[in-house]
Amino acid sequence: MSVLDILMNYYPAFLSGLWVTMQLSLIIWGSGIVVGGGLGILGARYRIYIGLPSRTVSFLLSGVPILVFLFWLHYPAQAMFDVVIDPFYTGAFTLSVINIFSVADIVRGALVDFPQQYLTAAKVTGLTREQTIFKIQIPLILREILPPLLLLQVMMLHTTLFTSLISVEEIFRAAQRINAQIYRPVEIYTALGVFFLAVCLPVNGFALWLKGRYTRDLSER
Amino acid sequence: MLTTRGLGKSFGGKTVLRDVNVDIAPGTITCVIGPSGTGKTTLLRALSLLDLPDSGVISLDGQDYSFPLQQGAAITPAPWPKLTAVFQSLFLWPHLTLRENILLPARNIDAAKAEKDIEGLIAFFEMQGFIDSYPNQASIGQRQRVAMARALILNPRYLLLDEITSALDVEQTVKILTKLGHLKERNIGVFLITHQIGFARKSADQIVFMDGGTVAERGGPDILDAPKTARLQQFLSAVHEVY
Ligand SMILES: Nc1ncnc2c1ncn2[C@@H]1O[C@H](COP(=O)(O)OP(=O)(O)OP(=O)(O)O)[C@@H](O)[C@H]1O
Ligand SMILES: [Mg+2]
Repeated sequence: MSVLDILMNYYPAFLSGLWVTMQLSLIIWGSGIVVGGGLGILGARYRIYIGLPSRTVSFLLSGVPILVFLFWLHYPAQAMFDVVIDPFYTGAFTLSVINIFSVADIVRGALVDFPQQYLTAAKVTGLTREQTIFKIQIPLILREILPPLLLLQVMMLHTTLFTSLISVEEIFRAAQRINAQIYRPVEIYTALGVFFLAVCLPVNGFALWLKGRYTRDLSER
Repeated sequence: MLTTRGLGKSFGGKTVLRDVNVDIAPGTITCVIGPSGTGKTTLLRALSLLDLPDSGVISLDGQDYSFPLQQGAAITPAPWPKLTAVFQSLFLWPHLTLRENILLPARNIDAAKAEKDIEGLIAFFEMQGFIDSYPNQASIGQRQRVAMARALILNPRYLLLDEITSALDVEQTVKILTKLGHLKERNIGVFLITHQIGFARKSADQIVFMDGGTVAERGGPDILDAPKTARLQQFLSAVHEVY
């Protein structure tokens, strides 16, 4: 049985796994970018009241392995509060929290370290507030944060595989199930690897390209 | 008239400006000279109303700005770009080409005129060869010319310049300094920090000698030949030893 045959025969299972993975990723990416971006902006503006707590949380999170955090929210936390939550939501929530605080870190850092002299130049040449934000600040900040942000989102896609361990029926678990039926680990995991390469490599490549291009633009001789 | 009265500023307990009074009339060139670290740049940045002084009054054509400002207050009305400056480290925007650096603020005043004026400036400062590159691809002297053009195209009433010829060769320096001469005819007031004593002697209407955060001596260009204070005399004789 070739990779193609497996895909032909088991594509409904693959597709439903893929669909769950996509849903997870969209929730994690969306909440990370929107909530994390907002948290980062607020953290840069209110450094003590928002920036400091959010930095502390992300520092603590960086010390806990993702898998431990995920399992802890799945078993002990739910036992403690005597609730049972669909593992899909537990997974989406856990990974979203991690993404939100990581994105906030990147955004806040770029805002706080923004070189003030470019704003000075904008002021003294009479640019309006809107021009300063849209023509100077946002382009410069995007150049700074886009590459690490893209790399982080690819990493978050990878971490969705961990949710298979709290039995979320995402693509890795789908692959495991099929493998349990037909025992073709080489073909199945190769197909899975190729799938992730096809999705992630272009994004990673784009991030590296952006980084190379804009770092050159910005560095002063 | 751009004037300061009793300007003072300190950085963490260290007084950098002490009771500075200067008057810059439209259509005149004021040259600021003095040893390194005596507060020339600090004075220029205060005059530009960007790094605000701790005390004193800056008055711009009858509009007074008193310091310290009230808590949370902003500089209103905004004096820029009628009052503009070119700083020692230029501050060109790195993500825009040199041409865009000049045009972005200039279009606010008159977009059609900006497109026309820039051609004249490109020719005058001989910027044809590099105007479409990015700041990091240009030499310091090239960047100084661009920063100068970015300020000039705005048609300011008062132009503050901090050692803008430090990286230019003799020919380019002469060019810029000649350009400053033309600004007089357009009734622009120029405030220039410079180490070019020769230029100051020839073109300045007023010399301000800063020492230790105060104006130690001021007057016409004649004070460069007949200084009244021992400190200026000492400074000039050191300059003469080098040039
Ligand atoms: N942001 C700052 N924080 C602390 N001290 C400062 C700051 N800016 C300037 N100073 C101090 O103020 C003094 C005057 O600095 P300033 O840059 O005005 O000198 P300057 O006359 O322009 O010198 P130069 O000819 O070398 O450019 C210096 O002693 C400097 O160390
Ligand atoms: Mg200086």
